[in-house]
Amino acid sequence: MTQGALVLRIVASLVGSFVLLYILHRVLGPRGRRWLIAIVTFAGGLFYGLEWYFPVHGHPAKNFLTDYIEPVSNMLAVVAAFTVGLGIYSLCQVHGRNVARQRPGWYNSLAFFVAMVAMFTFGLWEHYLHLPEPAPAVLPWPKAIYEVLFSGLFVPLQAATFSLLAFYIASAAYRAFRIRSAEAALMMTAAFIVMLGQVPIGAWLTDAIPHTPVLGFFRLEKLGEWVLRWLNTPAQRGILFGVAVGALAMSLRVWLSLERGTFFSEQS
Amino acid sequence: MEETAGQTFWQRMQQIPRYYVYLLLAAVVVWQLLMPIRLPIVPSSATTGLYDAIKAAPDDKLIIISTDWDASTQAETGPQTQAVINACFQLKKRFVIMNMQPPMGVKLSNDIALAVGKQYGARYGIDWANWGYKYGYGNVLMALAKDIPKAIGDDFDGKPATTLPLMKGVKDIKSISLVIEITGLSGMTESWIGLIQGPYQVPFASAYTAVMAPGYYPFLDSGQMKGMLVGAKGAAEMEALVKRPGSATTIMNVQSWAHVLIIVLIVLGNVGYVLSRSRRGERAR
Repeated sequence: MTQGALVLRIVASLVGSFVLLYILHRVLGPRGRRWLIAIVTFAGGLFYGLEWYFPVHGHPAKNFLTDYIEPVSNMLAVVAAFTVGLGIYSLCQVHGRNVARQRPGWYNSLAFFVAMVAMFTFGLWEHYLHLPEPAPAVLPWPKAIYEVLFSGLFVPLQAATFSLLAFYIASAAYRAFRIRSAEAALMMTAAFIVMLGQVPIGAWLTDAIPHTPVLGFFRLEKLGEWVLRWLNTPAQRGILFGVAVGALAMSLRVWLSLERGTFFSEQS
Repeated sequence: MEETAGQTFWQRMQQIPRYYVYLLLAAVVVWQLLMPIRLPIVPSSATTGLYDAIKAAPDDKLIIISTDWDASTQAETGPQTQAVINACFQLKKRFVIMNMQPPMGVKLSNDIALAVGKQYGARYGIDWANWGYKYGYGNVLMALAKDIPKAIGDDFDGKPATTLPLMKGVKDIKSISLVIEITGLSGMTESWIGLIQGPYQVPFASAYTAVMAPGYYPFLDSGQMKGMLVGAKGAAEMEALVKRPGSATTIMNVQSWAHVLIIVLIVLGNVGYVLSRSRRGERAR
């Protein structure tokens, strides 16, 4: 398919989708819309369920639904892309109001617009530069600006924000960890073993203990691993079972549109 | 103990202002970054399990390294990715990078692979490739299991993946020898195990941030995971195994002393708590 025909097809699909959605929106009442969504949700769940459980044949192993996985996945990606657009629209609405009415902290909203426009512009620009391989020693300026924005600002800012957690955790652990009961003492002992066992200083502190099967167990790195593998694992497995059963029940409720608290149940 | 301004020394030990705690932690970090005290790194069974899985991977198949992380966890997942890529290049295993979420991870891991690949003289498209960001979680994995070229489409640079020499003969999940999931997100492992490792018996290993790793020990215990890197510690252990100490080894020195500081602070606070409680008891009597 030529580039022009592809663009034409995309535009026609978009226009067709909008017209269809508009007609459905006008024709169907809240009850009809709810039924439509329930049917689409059920059909989607049924498709993936049947494809997964239906016997497969040949190489590569397929059943009668396998070939449709890709187009259905693409449809899902398109729907998700629309939600990104909706998110951007909502953000622009909120921050646009803040800037227009000069609400307290409006300059933060302005920073959002500047950051979004800059990243969007230079991100797309550098993508379509099609630089030769290996990349030239002196980068073209749109690519250089993109690198500054992404690698020089975005990445370190995100990393710095999360690294602040280390300071909060240190302070919180010092303030909150008090031996007020036998359980708290037990928890603190386990915490100290794991904290020291997870870092090289633990191995260094108990370096004098030989690596024999009996004595070696008391080396801090071994003791820490024992706590994680033998005490933590059963507890985690119990939690996992509970989560899995809950997820199964939740999936069934969503699939059969029984879940309350959705937009339509609120509306009705 | 002398009493000052109505508070004993031990009472004050329970209430060290938080900015002193921050300052002490910052001082320990800077001290260890500038003057590191080298400590022994002892690889755990979880780390050696991952290394052995890479070693055992057949040469005619590909290893998938799914790098589902971003800058927020880069301090741990970055060195993990670097150590795993180092191991693949060193053991002459061909691999592909892919990313499902968050999208930033695909560029960050691509930069790491390019830098490490340069040290080994690795060629893109022959020794390794980047399949890029693929949206759709479970859908991507289901599609990948059945038809890899169709599911992948274009690589990170926007070229059709099928044109890469590395992709010759790659059809479905049977062309994959091992999947290594490196992530700071929960939920990714469950998808890989549920849709790929379980049904197709593809060996699976993973690398997590230290805070989320305890939740994944059941998979290691059951044998569904061949190995696991736990935070920066796992990365440092992998660096020790490939004999290329890097940033994770430095991080572990820093983390060692930071843990010691936190333990000392907790002990001080508790000694203060116990002593002031016993004093209150004495006064009451």
